[in-house]
Amino acid sequence: MAATRAAPRAREIFSTLEYGPVPESHACALAWLDTQDRHLGHYVNGKWLKPDHRNSVPCQDPITGEKLASCLQAQAEDVAAAAEAARTALENWSRLPGARRAQHLTRLAKMIQKHQRLLWTLESLVTGRAVREVRDRDVPLAQQLLQYHAVQAHSQEEVLAGWEPMGVIGLIVPPTFSFLEMMWRICPALAVGCTVVVLVPPASPTPLLLAQLAGELGSFPGILNVISGPTSLGPVLASQPGVQKVAFCGVVEEGRALRRTLAGKGLELSLALGAESLLLVTEAADVDSAVEGVVDAAWSDRSPGGLRLLIQESVWDETMRRLQARMGRLRAGRGLDGAVDMGARGAAARDLAQRYVREAQSQGAQVFQAGDVPSDSPFYPPTLVSDLPPASPCTQAEVPWPLVVASPFRTAKEALAMANGTPRGGSASVWSERLGPALELGYGLRMGTVWINAHGLRDPAVPMGGCKENGSSWHGGPDGLYEYLQPSGTPARLPHLSENLNYDTFGLAVPSALPAGPETGPSPAPPYGLFVGGRFQAPGARSSRPIQDLQGNLHSYVAEGGAKDIRGAVEAAHQAAPSWVGQSPGARAALLWALAAALERRESALASRLERHGVELKVAKAEVELSVRRLRAWGARAQAQGHTLQVAELRGPVLRLREPLGVLAIVCPDEWPLLAFVSLLAPALAHGNTVVLVPSGACPIPALEVCQDMATLLPAGLVNVVTGDRDHLTRCLALHQDIQALWYFGSVQGSQFVEWASAGNLKPVWVNRGLPRAWDQDAEGAGPELGLRAARTKALWLPMGD
Amino acid sequence: MRWRRETDHEDRDCLRRLSSNSASNGGDLSWISKIQVNHPAVLRRAEQVQARRTVKKEWQAGWLLKAVTFIDLTTLSGDDTSSNVQRLCYKAKYPIREDLLKALNMHDKGITTAAVCVYPARVCDAVKALKAAGCDIPVASVATGFPAGQTHLKTRLEEIRLAVEDGATEIDVVINRSLVLTGQWEALYDEIRQFRKACGEAHLKTILATGELGSLTNVYKASMIAMMAGSDFIKTSTGKETVNATFPVAIVMLRAIRDFFWKTGNKVGFKPAGGIRTAKDSLAWLSLIKEEVGDEWLKPELFRIGASTLLSDIERQIYHHVTGRYAAYHDLPMS
Repeated sequence: MAATRAAPRAREIFSTLEYGPVPESHACALAWLDTQDRHLGHYVNGKWLKPDHRNSVPCQDPITGEKLASCLQAQAEDVAAAAEAARTALENWSRLPGARRAQHLTRLAKMIQKHQRLLWTLESLVTGRAVREVRDRDVPLAQQLLQYHAVQAHSQEEVLAGWEPMGVIGLIVPPTFSFLEMMWRICPALAVGCTVVVLVPPASPTPLLLAQLAGELGSFPGILNVISGPTSLGPVLASQPGVQKVAFCGVVEEGRALRRTLAGKGLELSLALGAESLLLVTEAADVDSAVEGVVDAAWSDRSPGGLRLLIQESVWDETMRRLQARMGRLRAGRGLDGAVDMGARGAAARDLAQRYVREAQSQGAQVFQAGDVPSDSPFYPPTLVSDLPPASPCTQAEVPWPLVVASPFRTAKEALAMANGTPRGGSASVWSERLGPALELGYGLRMGTVWINAHGLRDPAVPMGGCKENGSSWHGGPDGLYEYLQPSGTPARLPHLSENLNYDTFGLAVPSALPAGPETGPSPAPPYGLFVGGRFQAPGARSSRPIQDLQGNLHSYVAEGGAKDIRGAVEAAHQAAPSWVGQSPGARAALLWALAAALERRESALASRLERHGVELKVAKAEVELSVRRLRAWGARAQAQGHTLQVAELRGPVLRLREPLGVLAIVCPDEWPLLAFVSLLAPALAHGNTVVLVPSGACPIPALEVCQDMATLLPAGLVNVVTGDRDHLTRCLALHQDIQALWYFGSVQGSQFVEWASAGNLKPVWVNRGLPRAWDQDAEGAGPELGLRAARTKALWLPMGD
Repeated sequence: MRWRRETDHEDRDCLRRLSSNSASNGGDLSWISKIQVNHPAVLRRAEQVQARRTVKKEWQAGWLLKAVTFIDLTTLSGDDTSSNVQRLCYKAKYPIREDLLKALNMHDKGITTAAVCVYPARVCDAVKALKAAGCDIPVASVATGFPAGQTHLKTRLEEIRLAVEDGATEIDVVINRSLVLTGQWEALYDEIRQFRKACGEAHLKTILATGELGSLTNVYKASMIAMMAGSDFIKTSTGKETVNATFPVAIVMLRAIRDFFWKTGNKVGFKPAGGIRTAKDSLAWLSLIKEEVGDEWLKPELFRIGASTLLSDIERQIYHHVTGRYAAYHDLPMS
């Protein structure tokens, strides 16, 4: 009888009351691998693709090292085959009514439900993550994602009119933490009518299983294709015809490199980088709950990275004591054990953690480790690092899993300065039982997501994203949909552009301006200075550039701005930012309307300026009038921003805030010298940005005239206008690390340079790739796209309860 | 327990000491009024703690037998008579069928429930029955106007004295909820002090009736006051409120117990009661104690489960573990 075998153990356990193993069978995962003869290829066009003569890598159990299967590594031609399949599928898929796509996504959700055990055991087996987390959180969330996006697809024609799917999307995911990273991105892409090629790292079977499940729905093979191969295939994927966008998630430096490689290739690139999170414990916190927040954030296999922990000095001791006591109760072990908090993530993750800890120790940090953790190799215990000197290299580096780096702060202001003083802008939580201070911190943090008194909550309806070096891509919620949409009528990607732009020399030197011949005409306008910090200033270079009218006659001189002037303008804009951000939308609207009125008063002068530039008087007048309307329209729109989301899992609201980007640099197009200037400036100001602007090169005078009104109406530094050599100024702006976003409307080369240079601080950029834009049409000149690009989203979670 | 042996005068000092230990500027209970518990965060923790720990096979059998030794086997009905109290006492002595214990090699461990818990009027019956069964399982009596506590203080105190006289060695008192809801923490402290004195040598288990305290923050504060006033145990509920022993409430009470231990060095026991019916529930409660305050609390002196039907479900699970079959109703003796 079974009991006799068990008897002695039960007796012993009676007195020790220890935990025992709770193994979850992974037989079905192995059985599935067997159906592929333990040999995985790629899943393309609804079929397995297993080409011959390819290298393969083993897929191993990260804990035992047992070889589970061998996985083929893709080569360029496999990538091409996948892109071809996605392109073919796009024909049908993008033209379907949203309701049909919704149906298909719902069927996929059901398919996942039917095979959920296979999904969670396979995922836990190969990633080593705690099965509980995969089973209770990831798999249900995957289904919710499909359902949420099915609903979005269903109402697409109604809600997203004026937008169309981009086309084929190339998705590159990192050595996977969870298959959810892929789900977050393919769901919105498929919902809006795009098709997807996913490049997964070798030896990640779960995305392949998902593709197979999607493929076995029968209809629409080829909308989801998964190939496994190294990240170095990214540029190959991007260069496939039809691929309109590449979405990359992974390590910051790889993202940067990809940004540079894909500059000027004519496709969109969205980056989601880094994995560190932040947690702020204030003195008004429920400290025990905050400690659980730390466990959620760092030690429960819920997030891929480590945690930076800021604790108010007055509760430092109390928090550390509770945290250390709590750490002692954590259990790590085999991921497929139902009673562990943490699994293992393989040797690479462990080595990374080990290196960080060693270095931190050598710099004088205190390291505390605890928990019931097997001592053998792949495991690494929960680790708390404190007393790390702020200037040490470790403090600057990203905190790896499963580490928590704690530092004290004195006041809320200091906490904000510390939190915002890093290049990371992903997610953070604030712990305080007092509403006022909690919201103060929540609004003040420059992050994509802020949870108040919770950490790591996620919902398909809530956008997740970031800013700064986290990249500025979004998944989930409305923002996630726009990632894969473009305004209807956007021209398809052009075949190849200038390859060999010399980044070192582009715009480096300013051609010197010499006297440009006899001044003709009635009276050349006086040389304007640069409009910086609310007044006209002489340029640093003390030189001017001549502006000719259409006939080639000297029209006037404008100042020749340079690097130092850009620096001054950015400083002025930063100084003006806090008070402008603090203005209510109503106040911003009032200023824009006042500017509109001033423009109206100047109508005849502006029209005659434009006329001298070869525009018919009637057209010139219309341009001025339209400019006035644009200012008024954006003033009105300033009022309606952000909204509240309802989330299933949470009692309480989630606020979708639209926050200013910061200092926004705009290089205006040459054409429509007044209208384009106003059309770009107005949404930027309406959303609370401060602006450094380079006006039309051919005809900068109207913009400078408007500056005369801005000098009296707007706060100093809110708008700064720098004239000069466009390439040179573009170079200065694109390379400036403290500009938060850049819009460029100019040449093909300029666009390419801007994309390349933006890799520096990973600022979001918007370039026209040399294409003209119909500024006089409302769709292009004042469409929702401008509003979307002029602000960034922040999701603020506010759980409630008594 | 040194804490409750102190005289009234010294107790006041203790209270002061405790108060000034905390960050506040001392002398009163104001530090208690500053405490805040975050409700949604505690709810999340309560969900997690149940999902993250589980035991199977031999571990389950060992844990379940341990759970038996924590049970305050309870009958609190209007129709209790000496015969069913007697049956209950016998079940307390022999909670698991002898042959099942033998199969697990546990028959020599002297497994009984922790106590028998009855109404004051049935204490004599219980004491007699246990004596007849030849064992020293303590008898616990509820008191102080159980379950509502809405009687005069004088009669509530008298109730305690009479139960102790009849031989109860543990007294489960209910607190005056109105004092909590109106924020009269000093008055609450004074009342529980008087209960403490009336108990004499008997153990004082203070029922907070958390379902009627309005918020988790109040639960924490009431727990703290009850412990400062000298309770040996704090107990979640009477089993007669609409909301009984829940995980969120338990988490808050256990955190208060740990904080009290950190501040004073005294360990106070914890007793959830009401609504704990299945073997699976009892396992979850054991792991909750393990997770929140640690193994030191997993002994009958510091942890009890107030339950009436739980025992038979545990026995059923043990039967299944030993035989591999599910028991029929008649396979196990009734209590």
